[in-house]
Amino acid sequence: MPNPARPLVAIGTALIALPALAQDGPLTVAMHYTQDQAAPLIACLDAYDADGVTASYQQISYGDYLQTVLTGRLAGQSPDIYNVYSIWAAQMVDNGVLAEPPEALAQFVRDGYGAATVDAATIDGTLWGVPSEVSVYMLVSNMALLREAGIETPPTTWDGLREAAAAVTARNDQGRIETAGFAFAESSSGAGVVHPFYALVFSQGGDVYSDDYTEAMLDTPEAQEALSRMAGLVEDDITDLSIDAYDFPAGGIGMMIMANWYESAIRDGFGDRFDEDVAVSQIPMGDDWRTLQYAFFMGVDSQSDRQEEAWVLVRHLNAPRDGGLSCMGEMLDGLGALTANAADLAAQEAPDAFTRPFVEALENDRAIGQPNVMQAAEIEGMMARTFETVIAGDAEPGPALQDLDTEVEDILFEFY
Amino acid sequence: MPRREFDPGGGGAAPWVFLAPLIAFAAVFFVIPLGFSIWLSFTRWNPLGTPSWVGLRQFEYLFTRDGDFWRSILNTFVFAFGFVALGVPLSLGLAFVFSRARGKTLWRSVYYLPQLTNIVAIAYLWQFVLDDRYGAINRLLGMVGLAGPNWLSDPAMAMVSVVLVMIWYDAGKNMLVFSAALEGVDREIYDAAALDGASPLRTLTSVTLPIIRPAFIFVTITSFITGMGFFALILAMTGGGPRGATEVTALYTYQMAFESLRMGRASAGALILFAIIGVLSILQFRALRGRE
Repeated sequence: MPNPARPLVAIGTALIALPALAQDGPLTVAMHYTQDQAAPLIACLDAYDADGVTASYQQISYGDYLQTVLTGRLAGQSPDIYNVYSIWAAQMVDNGVLAEPPEALAQFVRDGYGAATVDAATIDGTLWGVPSEVSVYMLVSNMALLREAGIETPPTTWDGLREAAAAVTARNDQGRIETAGFAFAESSSGAGVVHPFYALVFSQGGDVYSDDYTEAMLDTPEAQEALSRMAGLVEDDITDLSIDAYDFPAGGIGMMIMANWYESAIRDGFGDRFDEDVAVSQIPMGDDWRTLQYAFFMGVDSQSDRQEEAWVLVRHLNAPRDGGLSCMGEMLDGLGALTANAADLAAQEAPDAFTRPFVEALENDRAIGQPNVMQAAEIEGMMARTFETVIAGDAEPGPALQDLDTEVEDILFEFY
Repeated sequence: MPRREFDPGGGGAAPWVFLAPLIAFAAVFFVIPLGFSIWLSFTRWNPLGTPSWVGLRQFEYLFTRDGDFWRSILNTFVFAFGFVALGVPLSLGLAFVFSRARGKTLWRSVYYLPQLTNIVAIAYLWQFVLDDRYGAINRLLGMVGLAGPNWLSDPAMAMVSVVLVMIWYDAGKNMLVFSAALEGVDREIYDAAALDGASPLRTLTSVTLPIIRPAFIFVTITSFITGMGFFALILAMTGGGPRGATEVTALYTYQMAFESLRMGRASAGALILFAIIGVLSILQFRALRGRE
């Protein structure tokens, strides 16, 4: 006679065995790159076998990354290795999501990566992973439009940018901007206006937070000056918020402050004219210009049962191979993305004319890291709304920044 | 031995056994999540960590210090009222016209098609159509020398745009409800009205509309509830922008929960929205029923 309890016992046994099975499975590396983009890295993971420990790749879309991590952890299904956007890091560290790397790996990072990029993976003085992709903002110009307006070189000052943009801007018969001298990027995160704002503030010697993050510095003269400069472009009819810098590849925008990762889209849009018509140059804020960089870094989940093996894999993926590129370096090189890994930079071919200014900004310490503050995404969303309101002419920079400063300090007060 | 009669109200475990799947479903998918959400609204919880009890502080913050929350409530009312005020009469009009049209099945199918389409695809489609610079509408207007509005980058026009697209998306569904109600009206009543000399307008207002009042109540209330809680279209089409002009409360709480990682405050916001929708639905239902 069949025992009715037998299926239940079998299910129970299987459930108990699952964690043990998971320990024998491959280490999981979760990143936002598509399978095609990550192909060189996936090849490395497929080939990886360290004393029986293997690895596999998990793609999580950028927009869903943090949510997927959250729900995965609630369900006990988190990956072993993350690719963390640096502004998520403070919250992940504060809540014990990330494991601290072994000292040997921390030394590997400190010895082999640019200082500002190491800072991106550092919270309260502790390093939490190995930097992977770095993005830097620079002025990107459509030289065909600038030349048509009689301008032969990209501007290096804000006044120069205003003059050049004004010369390029053209309206159609209905008064709508047909060709825009300058454009801000529309993005759900608000980065399209917030990141250029950071670059302008840094260029004026200002900062956005105090060093210990207890105070916002959004009501400073530098912040007001930066936002006034941005708003002035709309006020003087040089651009408006219906123009999206992500339309730059279509050819109707003269200049934008954009990160290097947009190169492939611009290249696709300009085709054969790319090398001749697209120029990358300094943030147009004079000789003391600075810019913003942000980074991703590879960290290990604190709930992983195999943290030691995971860190070995992280190092394997970022260490040079026979004097050549590391696995991560090969993938980033294929994407046209930047790395701050000195060994990879030495092993790479000389960067093309588009990429070189971004690399030089990193090498010359012009690129300042995005602050790793708690609730960074929420704060930058608030900043974006305030900046867009001012840029649209619906508020004055001074009072708007004063209010924003108070709201941001309310959030900082919760955590610092 | 006397034969046992079935007694649905009698004792025994049988009713509970038969109801058990439904009760379990309701408990797992309605009661427990609602209870968890209510509990969360009294906590501060970043889902990376553990919840901590904060009493009424999340409600206090939303009511007294969060201007964006109140603006989202206002946006929600504008969106819902726009959707109901324009969408319900349009659906009724379409149903009325098609009830007398040749090929009415085809027409009804055509107007129902948006309901069969993914809402994100609809949002992207309309983004292309309404794009300020490259959109089809402004390009066509430009060809006749007219400067079209900034459909998606002007705050007022963006709200108008999402309301219109929502009506376009939902009109077919409500039209079907009205069509079914209109088909159910006895033709003899119309004949009697005609014999009494009633004009078409008088027939509509004194005969048709009173008879289909239950359908009207159903469509109005369900459309209002849909409008108050809907945000997928807005999320994909404008993301709540420009400058928060289309940020409705459901979207605001979604972003609060999953982007700002403030689950407790988001739960409190969702409960406030739930209470508003509940109270207004009851008032609306009573008002509409009371006029019968």
